[in-house]
Parts: sequence; structure tokens; C-alpha cells
Amino acid sequence: MQPQLSTVTRLALGRVGLDDIMDKVVAGVRLDHADGLQLFETADIGAVGALANLVRERRHGDLAYFNRNLHINATNVCEASCIFCSFARLEEHQPEAYTMSLEEAVGRVRELEDAFLTEVHIVNGLHPGLPFSYYTDLIRALKAERPDLHIKGFTAVEVHYYAEKYGMSYEEVLRAFVEAGLGSMPGGGAEIFHPRARRKLCHDKVDADGWLEVHRVAHRLGLRTNATMLFGSIETLDERVDHLLRLRELQDESLALQTRYPRRGAFQTFVPLRFHNDNNRLQRLPSPTGHDSLRTIAVSRLLLDNLPHIKSYWVMLGLKLAQVSLSFGADDLDGTVREERIYHMAGAQTPQSLTRTQLVQLIRNAGRIPVERDTLYNIIAEA
Amino acid sequence: MKRIRVGAVGYTNAWPLTTRLDRIRYQASEDHPAEVARKLQAGEVDVGLVPVAAVLNDGDYKVLPGWCIGADGPVRSVVLAGTCPPEEWTEVLLDGVSRTSVVLAKLLLKDGPWKRLDVRVRIVPPTTALDKAGGTVAALVIGDAARHLPGQFRFELDLAEAWTEWTGLPFVFAVWAGRPDLTLEDLSGLRSAAAEGMALRSALSEPERTYLTEDIRYQLDDRAMMGLRRFAALGARAGLLRQTELRLYAPPGRIRPRRPDTDTLLARGAAGERLGFDEALQLYDAPLSDLGTAANLRRWALHPTDDVTYIISRNINYTNVCVTACKFCSFYRPKNHREAYVLTQQQVHDKCDELVRAGGIEVLLQGGLHRELGIDYYERLFRYIKANFPLDLHALSPEEVFHVMKISDLSMDETLDRLAAAGMDSLPGGGAEVLVDSIRKQIAPLKCTTQQWLDVMEAAHQRGMTSSATLMFGMMETPAHRIEHLLRLRDLQDRTNGFVAFICWTFQPEHNYVEPGDNTAGDYLRVNALSRLVLDSFRNLQASWVTQGPGIAQASLHMGCNDFGSVMMEENVVSAAGTTFQMSVADVERNVREAGFTPVRRNASYDYVGAAITPSRQVRRSPELTAK
Repeated sequence: MQPQLSTVTRLALGRVGLDDIMDKVVAGVRLDHADGLQLFETADIGAVGALANLVRERRHGDLAYFNRNLHINATNVCEASCIFCSFARLEEHQPEAYTMSLEEAVGRVRELEDAFLTEVHIVNGLHPGLPFSYYTDLIRALKAERPDLHIKGFTAVEVHYYAEKYGMSYEEVLRAFVEAGLGSMPGGGAEIFHPRARRKLCHDKVDADGWLEVHRVAHRLGLRTNATMLFGSIETLDERVDHLLRLRELQDESLALQTRYPRRGAFQTFVPLRFHNDNNRLQRLPSPTGHDSLRTIAVSRLLLDNLPHIKSYWVMLGLKLAQVSLSFGADDLDGTVREERIYHMAGAQTPQSLTRTQLVQLIRNAGRIPVERDTLYNIIAEA
Repeated sequence: MKRIRVGAVGYTNAWPLTTRLDRIRYQASEDHPAEVARKLQAGEVDVGLVPVAAVLNDGDYKVLPGWCIGADGPVRSVVLAGTCPPEEWTEVLLDGVSRTSVVLAKLLLKDGPWKRLDVRVRIVPPTTALDKAGGTVAALVIGDAARHLPGQFRFELDLAEAWTEWTGLPFVFAVWAGRPDLTLEDLSGLRSAAAEGMALRSALSEPERTYLTEDIRYQLDDRAMMGLRRFAALGARAGLLRQTELRLYAPPGRIRPRRPDTDTLLARGAAGERLGFDEALQLYDAPLSDLGTAANLRRWALHPTDDVTYIISRNINYTNVCVTACKFCSFYRPKNHREAYVLTQQQVHDKCDELVRAGGIEVLLQGGLHRELGIDYYERLFRYIKANFPLDLHALSPEEVFHVMKISDLSMDETLDRLAAAGMDSLPGGGAEVLVDSIRKQIAPLKCTTQQWLDVMEAAHQRGMTSSATLMFGMMETPAHRIEHLLRLRDLQDRTNGFVAFICWTFQPEHNYVEPGDNTAGDYLRVNALSRLVLDSFRNLQASWVTQGPGIAQASLHMGCNDFGSVMMEENVVSAAGTTFQMSVADVERNVREAGFTPVRRNASYDYVGAAITPSRQVRRSPELTAK
């Protein structure tokens, strides 16, 4: 049965002047910048969410994915000084600065030898003092300890930093990682692409073109990658739409190449990341409200017509909004995360990990069918 | 339905998985494992019980979740057998009958705990290994042959036992695997046959019974999946297995069938038509998005403006001493408990004073059922507040009114007349919980009955007092109970029109003794939207940000609610059960604005009393985008 818009949803969309956009979505016609802006500016998230829900159900039906993973942030020493960050310690000697030894990192995995995990998620600060081999050794050591774990690691920002620091090309960095056992890449560091906002948020991070180029190269090397957007700080709605459309454009390119060369990668998941305002230099800004999170998820689902998955990262959203977002366009709740640090240092109140039973119950009570996936969205266990 | 061709195995250890296959509409054949794998690869069967090495190496298969043939410790039917102690072995012969066992033996001998034996490995033609073994040459033996070894093979090493010692995980030998285009539904017969087979094992005689209940482990659970994934990874790293991703059959991705008349029903509800019990129950299963848009259409029909009201209020819980001991309550204390209290007049005065200074409109007086507080206490308290402060008295839930009536030995009419004369303006709808006596008996056995609760409300409405109505759900009650509750409220409303608002919230499970049921945010939005449709004669629906948090409350404003509740200077009852959401006037107004509405202050009767207090911030508009 092909999902359809209900009569009440069509009426609700008509009430807020979204008839034309609704017709496009129903017919599978691509939305443009103006459509994106209109969707963001529509207050009625119930109606926008229901439209996003149609797209979500066309792709995934009632399935809602989750996985079980371990986060490793091997160092929080970071040369970048992004104003929204509460995690990084700029220099090694600062009291809360840390850098894990390989044994420590492997120890994190070993402690969980009885836990059903399928993935290690590695994201690090931009540490000025570590040799490149630290990272490849880290991947190898984790793979040696648990060969069955998929390693998703290193944002485009890190890859760019290593390339500059060690005088390598993006391709050389990524090839070395893949050889060591890297399986895919997370989507962090995208923040907001538009130069106005990006200069203010993270002037010393790789720019939009660089970020996209790292992912382009990763896709060429056969890696599947994720993409993110940090929303709710100082960016405008225009800049959000601009961000999403730049991602869509690269995905068009990667998917076109994938049809010719099937072993190439592409984006698999978009993760909107909500700005949190504790312990960073944007404390005067209020954090975005739940309304903004839900509309961003919904509009992302509608604009990113060529990305398979929209993830509602519960650590950032809170369980309640994450659960409900499964009816606003999201199809993935991420995992029973262990040891998330970045959002918790920014004041996230969510628990650090969830049991599988809790996640399954949340998904069922949202009227969805829970399925446990691996990093590449293979179904690996039944709920 | 398509006829599924199944390749089964004749080994003893496969018996529980296959013995009931004759009961299903599949077409089954029986072979040895390698032959099943060949047939699957050749497309002669659609699904087969195949060794995991075949799953990983042969093709693009998916695995059926639930059952496997595995072991967690010694399995006794997959062994290396020799005529002298393993330390003296020089060579191990592996024949190709079971590829999985061969890969496992190689891993154990080359990378695993048997590396220390330092033996050569030689591959020999199928079924010849045991015949060629002897002296310092051992052989891999599997299946029934391993369980009945010739007498001279006195020394054996158990492969599954060694695997588990090495990795801490179970080993999986064989699984149901098949064509990737089949669905879990297509293969449901295999799973039910396995479940039946499991139950039949206990009727077997020994030694099969022990072998199939203790040595073999049939659950393909998390630990077994971890074992399987570890085997796949180690095998791939050693070059013994292809690098593949294990995939399971998943539930169909299509949406679950929905009743076609639900669409009409939603449209009728949105138009304000009355819904009956069966119709409401059917809508309970409608998609949340559709329920939400229907409720929102109804909200806009009743309130065609973007105003969202709220009230500045204070909850004064005059006592926490209570005799009802409701299981879901974390607030009450017995009379002699060291935390028990009754507020003094001075304390009440100070609280009211603070409230008035903060722009408060009403005071919400609710407390426990204290045996020594009769009507005189309440009359004094009400008169005192009314004489000293310009506040609306939203006081005493039906439960408390009922209690006062009993303590003071008055009729209900007398009680309400005297309370009204003392200054009571309206009644909060608390204590309704779920108005179904079978549920009330379980969660609040000492509280008044459904009928008594409704009687108090009816009598109050008849005296011109208004009230709100509530539903606390998410314990053991079912959707049908929740709808029954709504219909009881609607019946009374038809007679009195005295309810000005409805508020639902979810049970909060901390610090009390009730197991939560459907109490997630998703349930909240669903019940709230459904309430908007069912309670066609209720004007206002209040969002419960206290229990749901501001984000879900914002969503509820687009799914049926038109009121954002109250800014409470004090709240003690729900927060005792672990809820920690707190908001100031500025927070409430900001959340209402960011959700796209205009905040307006109201009184307990839902009349507007003033505009927002905080200035409306300019919504950030975008500067002109420079060219990309």
C-alpha cells in the first residue's frame, strides 16, 4: 500500500497556504530554495510534519531504525575555537584537557565486551601535537580488539586538519584510514556552510567547499558518510536552506557517479544538530525550542529528497522530542550511545545511555516498528 | 501467497527446527548441509538451513532472525579427534563436509588458543578424514559421527568450547538463510515451526534430549549475533571468508494496513461531528500526524486566532497529609511522618502575597485528605484569602469536596453551598485520574468512585461554579479505558456545560509504586489530539508542559491545544514524582511565540485578562543572501 496524505492533512496544508508545495511533494517534484524558506516560516509544524511524514513513509514505511554504539572522543585538545563548543580544551595542560592512550581507548571497547555493539563512533579535537600514526594506530588497535565492530570516524574537519598538518591530500589521509580499518565517516563539522554564519561560528574550521570536498573524496573512495547541520544559533533560515541545498547538490553528484561505479559511496544519513547554549561563548543566546527542532527535521526530510535517512539524535533532542520526531520525518534514533561527552558538556540533560528495551518501547509507542541496524543500515536484529 | 521451497537438513541437531515443517505450506526437502547450500546457490530452494560459512561466502543472502544451530560451550558434535593426547598431534585432517567447522578449526589452530599445538593442517576429500587419522594425526569430525567415535579415538577437542573460551561468545554453526527478496512474513512458518519444535524436545528420550536441550543452543539472540559477527570478522581477516555484511530479514517496510474509513472518520472529527466509542477507538490507531492535523483543524474552528492563553497561578498545597495512599502518588505523607505539614495562615498569606506581587490571577488550592480538616477550616481559609487578596480561588478537587462532606457530616449540596459562600470560584479537575472504577480500584483504592467524582462536578456546575477536567493516563489502563473516561466527561458536559477546559497528562513513575504503561510523549500527543476530537463540547484544551516539557507542549499547540497552562509559582505534587520542567513567564511567552502564536494572559474562566508581559522580540530575519 502506497502511503497517501489523509484528507485532514490536505486540509491542514491548505489552511496554511502550502497547497503548491504539497502538490510538488505528492508528485515527487523537487522543492526549491523558496519552497524551503516557506516551509521553515510556516508555524504549523503539525501540517509540515505530516507532509514530511509522507516522504518518510514512502521511503521507510513504519520502520524506525536504531543501533548500538560506543562513542570515543580520543582527545578534547583542539586548536579550533568554535564559539558554540563546550567540549574542546584548547591546550593540553588545561585541567580538563585529556588525550587517551591507545590502551585507554581500547579499554573502553574491552570493558564492553559483553555488550552487543556494532559500531565505534570516533570524533576528536584538532590536537596539534599528535603524530598522524596516532589515528591509524587507534583504528588498528580497535579493530584488533573487536574485529566485528564497524568504525565510523573522523569528521571532514579532522580530515582537513590532518591533511594540512601532515602535508597530505584528503585522499591520502582517507586512504590511510580505510587501510587501517575505517568503515565510514560521521557528518560532523558541517555546522552552517554559508560564509557569513560560518565566519562567526567557526572561523578557523575548514570552509564549506573544503568540507564538501572531503566528503566528495570519501564517496569516491567508497565510503558512506553522514551530514549534519548545527541549527538554532546565529544562522538565518535562508542560511539553513542554503546549507541543505548544498548537501543535496553534492549528493546528486555522488549518486550519479554511484550509478556508473557501484562501489562508490554517498551520503546515507542527515543529522540536524541542535545548538545547546551551556558552557560556551553563546550563552546569551537561548537554545532553540522543540518547535524549531521538529520543523528542522521535517523541512530537512522534505528538501533532502536524495538522502536516504534523517536521524533524530536523541542525546541532543531529548527522548520525548526524538520519539515524536518519528512522525515528523525522522526514521532513525541513533543508538544506545555509551559515553557521549560533547553534548553533555553543553548541558544536555539526557541520560548518557539507554537500554535497548527503552528504545524499543519508545519506538513502539510512537506507532513505529523498531529495527536494529548496523552502521550501513543492514537489519541485524529484530526488536 | 507464493509457495516457498525449503532446504532442510537431516541431522539430529536440526530436528527441532525442521520436525514441524510438514505443518506449514512450504515445500521441504532434506539433504546434508553442503547440498542445501548448493541448492540455495543454484536457486533450487528459496531458503535453507545452511552453514554460516555458506551464508558469508556464497551469495547475497539474508538470515532469518530468531533461531539457529549454535552452542555456548561444548557442543560434543564438532570435535578434533585423535588417538593420542593433543600435545602429541603433528597434523590435523580437515575434510570438506562442513565448511564452517573447517574455517573455525583453522581459526582456532592458527590464530586462537590451539596455536600452541603447532600442528599442520591438511584438507582431505569429504568424509575421509576419520579413516585417514591415527597415530599423531587427528581429524575434524562432525555430526552424529562425532558423538559415536570409534573406541581408539580417546582424545578430543571441542571446537565450540574452544571458541567460547576464546571469545566469550556463543558459536553459530547454521542458520536459515535465503533469497534477499523474501520477507519476514513469507518465512513466518519457519519460525513458528521452530517454536513448536523447541517445545517438543522435552518429549525426546536420552541421549537426544540432553544433546538438543543442553549442548545445542538454538536462540539467535544478541549474544549469538555477536558470536556470528565476530566469526565473520575474524574469518574475513584471516582470508578464510569473504568480507560481507550480515543482513537479517526485516519486517516489511511498507506501512501497516490502515482502515480506509479512518480517513472519513478523521475528517468528521475535525469538522466537530460527534464520535462514538467505537469510532474513537478506531481513531486511537490512526497515524499521529493525521490525528494531529485533525485536532488542529478543530482547534482553529473553535479558536480562529493565533492567541494562546496562559495563567499566572500558584499551587498552594495546604497539607500533604493524606489518607488515600494512592500508589501513583509521591507527594502525600502520613499524619505523623516527619515531613508531614499543614500550612499556617501566615504561610498561606505570604504565598498569596508573593503571587499577587508577581501578577498572579488565581490561587490553586489543593491538598491531601486530612482527617482533622473539616469545613470550618476551609471556610476560614477561603474567607481569609478572599478578604485579603484579589485572587480567583480555584480550589478543591471533587475528591477533597467529597472528603470535607464526609468529615463534617454534611450533604453535598450544603458542602458546596458553604464553600461557594466562603469564596470558592471554581474547581480544578484533579483526582479524576481514569474515571473507570476497575482501574481506580487498582491505583487509588481509597479515592471516591467515578460516580461520586462526577456527582460533585455536576452539583458544582449547577451552582454556577465552573471546573476543569483532567485525565492522567499511562498506567495499566487500555485505550478503551481512556476513551470511556472521555465519554463520561462528555456526557456530564452535555448536561451542565460547566467544564471550561480539559487537560491530560501522563503518569510520572518516579518515587512511587506503579509500573508505567503507555506514558511516553508520543502517547501524550496521541491522547491529547484524540481528546480534542472526542470532547467536541469542550472549548479549551490545555498543554501539559509540566509533564511533557516545553517542546512537546509546543507541538501540542499544533495538535489540539489552545492554552499553555499556567506559570506556577509553586508546584509540589507532580514534581515529587520526578518531573522537573519549570518555566518562568518569559519562558512560557517565548515558547508560545516560537511556536508561532501570540501569548495572552487569562483567568480561571479562560477570559482574557491581559496581553503578554515580555516584549515580543523581533524574529530574526535573514540579511540578503550573498551569492554562493
